[in-house]
Amino acid sequence: MNVPLTHLLTLAGGLFFIGIWCAVTRRNLIMVMLGIEIMLNAAALAFVGASLRWQQMEGQAVALFVLAIAAAEVSVGLALIICIYRRYRTLDPAKVQ
Amino acid sequence: MQTADFTALTPLLLLAAAIAAVMLQIALKRSHILTIVLTLAGLIAAMLGVLAVGDMPARQVTPLVTMDRLAFFFIGLILTATAATALLGCRYWEHAVGQCEEYYLLLLVAALGACVLAAAHHFAAFFIGLEILSISLFTLMAFARRRMASVEAGLKYLVLAGISSAFLLFGIALIYADVGSLAFPIWTARLQAAGETVSPLLLIGMGMTVIGVGFKLALVPFHMWTADIYQGAPAPTTAFVATVSKSAMVALLLRLFAPVDFTAEPALFWTLAILAFASMIVGNILALRQDSVKRILAYSSIAHMGYLLVAFLSGGPAAIAATVFYITAYTITVLGAFGVVTVLSRTDADADSMSDFQGLFFSHPWLAGVFMAMLLSLAGIPLTAGFIGKFYAITAGAQGGIWWLIITLVLTSAASLFYYLRIVVAMFSPPLENKTQPPAAGISYSGGLVLTVMTVLLIWVGSAPGPLIDLIGRITQ
Repeated sequence: MNVPLTHLLTLAGGLFFIGIWCAVTRRNLIMVMLGIEIMLNAAALAFVGASLRWQQMEGQAVALFVLAIAAAEVSVGLALIICIYRRYRTLDPAKVQ
Repeated sequence: MQTADFTALTPLLLLAAAIAAVMLQIALKRSHILTIVLTLAGLIAAMLGVLAVGDMPARQVTPLVTMDRLAFFFIGLILTATAATALLGCRYWEHAVGQCEEYYLLLLVAALGACVLAAAHHFAAFFIGLEILSISLFTLMAFARRRMASVEAGLKYLVLAGISSAFLLFGIALIYADVGSLAFPIWTARLQAAGETVSPLLLIGMGMTVIGVGFKLALVPFHMWTADIYQGAPAPTTAFVATVSKSAMVALLLRLFAPVDFTAEPALFWTLAILAFASMIVGNILALRQDSVKRILAYSSIAHMGYLLVAFLSGGPAAIAATVFYITAYTITVLGAFGVVTVLSRTDADADSMSDFQGLFFSHPWLAGVFMAMLLSLAGIPLTAGFIGKFYAITAGAQGGIWWLIITLVLTSAASLFYYLRIVVAMFSPPLENKTQPPAAGISYSGGLVLTVMTVLLIWVGSAPGPLIDLIGRITQ
């Protein structure tokens, strides 16, 4: 039995908004990165749900791409965060100016 | 895949080979000159590839990419802009960072991502191209790692690009859930067929996609960090972001939305029209109050994307031709403008404040002339490429009957003359007494070459646009 599409999309949409909330309001660069990761993974979940609806593999393949690229993005992001932390000794984006 | 598929992919394959060659060369022996030579050889080989196969009939290679004339034109534009950025950066990077060979490697990788984006025919190719481009750009921006502004610009761009990619992805997932395919033509066909009764899933998906594209093109209200990023990033990278990543995004916009009949899709039309309107107004107003030349150019780029959308929204074949012409003229101009900023930059910081440009005419009359030509082209003064671009945009808009957008375009470009002329006036006023002069060593040959080529192109396209218009006409047939 398949989970209905609306349930999956509601879950993905909820996760997406949690991600935006985290990326926009948190005062810590690591948490901002985490928020972006949650948003990307919500999108990947929506892809999996859509590919279940159409019984195709395309959407699942894209979900794999999303995971790989999110990993690449976060590695560059963490490198930059380390660079900033070394200089300012803080991860608060408001104090980094 | 057949031989014809490989033939069609020649430019991309040559570019990928150049990336491998430069990477191996850096691993074996570090040599700045050798890296530059290899990079340029790769770019020129890829350009020759474009010339060799560019006239072929459109060919879809795997479900992922289509190599048609539009794709070849944009690939040519991207390769030219990358070569110009690489040449401009030579002297700059030699002084700013010790080991700078990786810069050229990242530049080539970013160019490959942009080329894939320009040829994308399927969502997977689009997403991979976009992320190859963006992830290389974070590093290119943070490359002057001793300058904190540069690292901050990289991190800000990363957060911004991450959020906008997530919006794009989620929007596309929703469209996929509704349409059942990831190929672009099926989406546009579906949008055409739906007419005014679009399903809510498709509508939300389209909305989120527009937000994502808006972030990438820095349209108002998604422009928050553009000025910080343009100001903080090293000048050659800024030139690259302003030209290559924007033209790749415009190619995507053309593929995705150009076949859509805007009169049948009022929701999409109004969303894009309001973005264009807000970008023209807000971009120009914010630029009026700046004292930093890089920030002025950043806000002016926001306004220029608004002008470009006016051409795009007019609908029909004239719209595509006008948009392609506009982005070409814009690329030439912005490369020249940031080129001047690059060659004037000192080792510790970029030439940025008005005082860095004060009296430029007396110390470097030739550079001041080039910069003036570029600024006048941005303002849209006759005999420059920018004028023909704007003229073309207004003509297309008039054909489409979007008068209120045309009036906004004309009024805001008149206002924009003020801040461009402020820079020109500063260059022609007497030099400051205690001012630190730009590098006495003068301008590198490579930088001078790029600036000369851009100025010649600017005036050529501005005074005799016939050949370029013919070329673009053949693309949009």
